[in-house]
Amino acid sequence: MAAAASSSDWPGRYHHIDQILDKPGPRTDPGFLAGDGVKDFLRGQAKILVIGAGGLGCEILANLALTGFKDIHVIDMDTIDISNLNRQFLFRQKDVGKPKATVAAEFIMKRVPGVTVTPYFGKIQDKDEEYYMQFNLVICGLDSVEARRWINATLVNMVDPEVPESLKPLIDGGTEGFKGQARVILPGITSCYECSLDMLNKQTQFPICTIANTPRLPEHCIEWASVLEWPRVFADKKLDNDDPDDIDWLYKTALNRAREFKIEGVTWSLTQGVVKNIIPAIASTNAIIAAACCNEAFKIATSSAAFLNNYFMLIGTDGVYSYTFEHEKRQECPVCGGEALDLAISPELTLEQLIETLTERQDIQIKKPSLSTPTKQLYLQAPPQLEQATRPNLEKKVSELVPPSGEVTVTASTLPFSLSLRIAYTS
Amino acid sequence: MSAGTESQSLESATTSIESQPDQKTRRYDRQLRLWAKSGQAALESAHLLVLSSSSTSTSILKNLVLPGVGQFTLLDRTITSPSDAGNNFFLEGLDSVGKPRAEEAVRLLLELNDGVKGHSIVEKDIQQVLSSEGESGVEWVKGFSLIIAHNLEKNALDQLSDLLWADFKSPPLVIIRSAGFLAEVFIQFHEHAIIDSHIDSTPSLRIDKPFPALLERSLAIDFENLDVTDHGHVPYVFILVRVLEEWKKSHDGNPPSTAAEKKEFKSLILNMRKKSDEENFEEAESQAYKCWTSTVVPSDIKSLFASSASSSNTPPHTKPFHILVKALEVYTSTVPPNTLPLSSTLPDMKASTKEYVEIQRLYKDRSVEEKNTFKGILANVIKEQGEDPNLIDDETIDSFVKNSHVLRLLSGKKWGWVDEDKAALTERAQTSSKQLGIHLALSALSSLHAKHAQAQATKQSQEGQNADFTPSLEELTAEAKAILPDGVELPEEDFDNAIGEAARSPTADLPNTAALLGGVVAQEVIKMITKQYVPIDGYCTIDLVETWTGVL
Ligand SMILES: [Zn+2]
Repeated sequence: MAAAASSSDWPGRYHHIDQILDKPGPRTDPGFLAGDGVKDFLRGQAKILVIGAGGLGCEILANLALTGFKDIHVIDMDTIDISNLNRQFLFRQKDVGKPKATVAAEFIMKRVPGVTVTPYFGKIQDKDEEYYMQFNLVICGLDSVEARRWINATLVNMVDPEVPESLKPLIDGGTEGFKGQARVILPGITSCYECSLDMLNKQTQFPICTIANTPRLPEHCIEWASVLEWPRVFADKKLDNDDPDDIDWLYKTALNRAREFKIEGVTWSLTQGVVKNIIPAIASTNAIIAAACCNEAFKIATSSAAFLNNYFMLIGTDGVYSYTFEHEKRQECPVCGGEALDLAISPELTLEQLIETLTERQDIQIKKPSLSTPTKQLYLQAPPQLEQATRPNLEKKVSELVPPSGEVTVTASTLPFSLSLRIAYTS
Repeated sequence: MSAGTESQSLESATTSIESQPDQKTRRYDRQLRLWAKSGQAALESAHLLVLSSSSTSTSILKNLVLPGVGQFTLLDRTITSPSDAGNNFFLEGLDSVGKPRAEEAVRLLLELNDGVKGHSIVEKDIQQVLSSEGESGVEWVKGFSLIIAHNLEKNALDQLSDLLWADFKSPPLVIIRSAGFLAEVFIQFHEHAIIDSHIDSTPSLRIDKPFPALLERSLAIDFENLDVTDHGHVPYVFILVRVLEEWKKSHDGNPPSTAAEKKEFKSLILNMRKKSDEENFEEAESQAYKCWTSTVVPSDIKSLFASSASSSNTPPHTKPFHILVKALEVYTSTVPPNTLPLSSTLPDMKASTKEYVEIQRLYKDRSVEEKNTFKGILANVIKEQGEDPNLIDDETIDSFVKNSHVLRLLSGKKWGWVDEDKAALTERAQTSSKQLGIHLALSALSSLHAKHAQAQATKQSQEGQNADFTPSLEELTAEAKAILPDGVELPEEDFDNAIGEAARSPTADLPNTAALLGGVVAQEVIKMITKQYVPIDGYCTIDLVETWTGVL
């Protein structure tokens, strides 16, 4: 690998980066191995994983390749859509429909000689710990909260205090319109993704009764069309958000309802935005956040300068406003904290209501949870026999099932960790 | 406009069924949700001049070509060197070495978007354009929508910024300087007016100063005899107007002011409930502060009246804005209740469809009335100033009225102003020492580089001039300290950190720094061109060791 990499390195290729790698700066750690040592590691040994080959991923891959990382892997489960082309600059019109990971990897290898990018077109959940163990660093450019929680928990679980290499720094980026954030997570040491779950914007959810009975906004009419009308009219056809004909049907159905109620503002674009939960995205913001992520990866891999501790957010709507701070670890974080979460509930609360609370609480957000105590199963989502057997508990009061200060373990099939609750009853 | 014609427009708005979006709309969907068709049209009619094809410059251009800027011209004589081929994504490795860098970059950038035109000029540089071509060269430069200069040689940059500053009609000049982990961005412009600022601020519903139809409607509600369903669907705005009106009767016409009164007021609202779970009353309680938050002209808008009035040398593109602001000032000082025109957009609230549509209509009709009053005043102002009656189109007036609570006017400054202003330097040395440290370090690099280049004038390529530019820590320190007024010093650590990084990597255009600048600058260019969102006002300094940005 090292030999192959160096043969493509023409004299002067790294003139710019070598100014950083040949000598320390005022804020460089004394352990920095200026010169050939650090260059050999970066260009010959470092192996880095990029999760996501979309808006951030394309930028991340290009930056890493130019910076001198030679062995890059990329995972993405999506294919290219025309609406990606305003920012995902490794893709062209002719690539629409092809896997993002594959096209991005080929483009980088063609443009930046001597770099190997290994694509995987699929889900991060397909891979096991052994796979993740091979990398020095992981950079995430994802738009899915679920996937981030999964990779975060997986990397935290992998840490073995006896084996220093088992700690894989995770660098995570995200954008929305002119805003974005980049952060460095040292699994088990710094605050993790799960620790900051309550910082996410809460998604607007319209109550079903508003949608069904008292629509006021164009969004209410669109939700009515997608949530209530579609399943009624097409009982056995699943709505395909990516099919323009399906969106067209929703748009016309929502428009008719809006007319009936004299509500203005249902448009094609709004319909698509509501149904797909579209987040505005532009090349420039992705460039800022991806660059911040890759710069941290470079500093961590080379020790050439101090790295971010640990959170950087930027808002470009009113000037350039940014805030760099240390996000604190949460002691009761179900992934890295170890302490049970104290939950005070009314003795009248039913198990079903408790489950609803767990789904809705901003710092928990566990969809379809299964609950058990050290001695019994309270409610299990699967398999069907156990679901059926535990279903009668849903109507019971939690106080009948769990003693005061009793522990409840919450799990969900989509999350590779469990949450411990310590239940107290309010009088 | 009467309610009748308004409902006609509702009719026509909802009967025209849109067909599926075309290719272009689909491609730009994610950005049209930010700056809409108007912003896109502005972007597509822009022509940018970019004075280098460095890694930073091509990163900036990438983020402008992708969203569909109209045209760009790269002016750069540089021949691609092996180090260029190593750090610039818009060159093809060794294949590009020896070829004109701007030509290679334009070719590869244009692959990103068929809708964009790109040109390269490789036989001259900006100094030749400005010096040898005289007036025609200067006019050519001024003909662009915006000019971008990354690490432009100091003498050329000073000459360019002087020439542009001398004419208040000149396009904005975006200046970027970077070395290693440090960078700064500055935009030189005379005046920048923003109607659609997208500033997050909700306009007043004027609950404390209800217009006649709103007051009348609120007072007419017979809460006692409403059936339970209707009672739970009265919009909170009606509830608040009603309770406030009754409160004022028994309190000398004053709204609640003490904490005790506010508490009492809230309990009056909650006591009106027929059932404990009426969400509209809970909403009214949570919004009760609107009753004692007096609707006045926001202070930002008041100071805008003053700054607009004192602005001299108004460039043609901000002229309509000043006239609109003048009309708004007249409106707020002469039309009761001396507030901004009413906004027609209403937030969602607990209500039945019928009630919500009705209250929406009340607000809409009133806002149309007030807008018409505003238009009358505007016509007078235009006449008084002897301007063309058609100077401002209806669409602009609509947008202006709608955004009248978030308007912004920036008066720019000349590049280098801070270095000339001793008071500002003294103050910044205390309040923004880290940011100033970066500015001084980059300034020292650029003046030392200019001296170095002069000494090496015989060498043709920029590469040759760059390769052996290795200023010592002492030279940089002396050069940077010379900018500061006598007796003014930065905290030692902030100064040393910046100077130390500059000495470490005096000519490094790092891929990550270039990419980050590419994003920051493209955002600013989009804001300047679309006249939406608010651009930076000052020097934006960037430190990628500690990962922060800060305005100097
Ligand atoms: Zn955690």
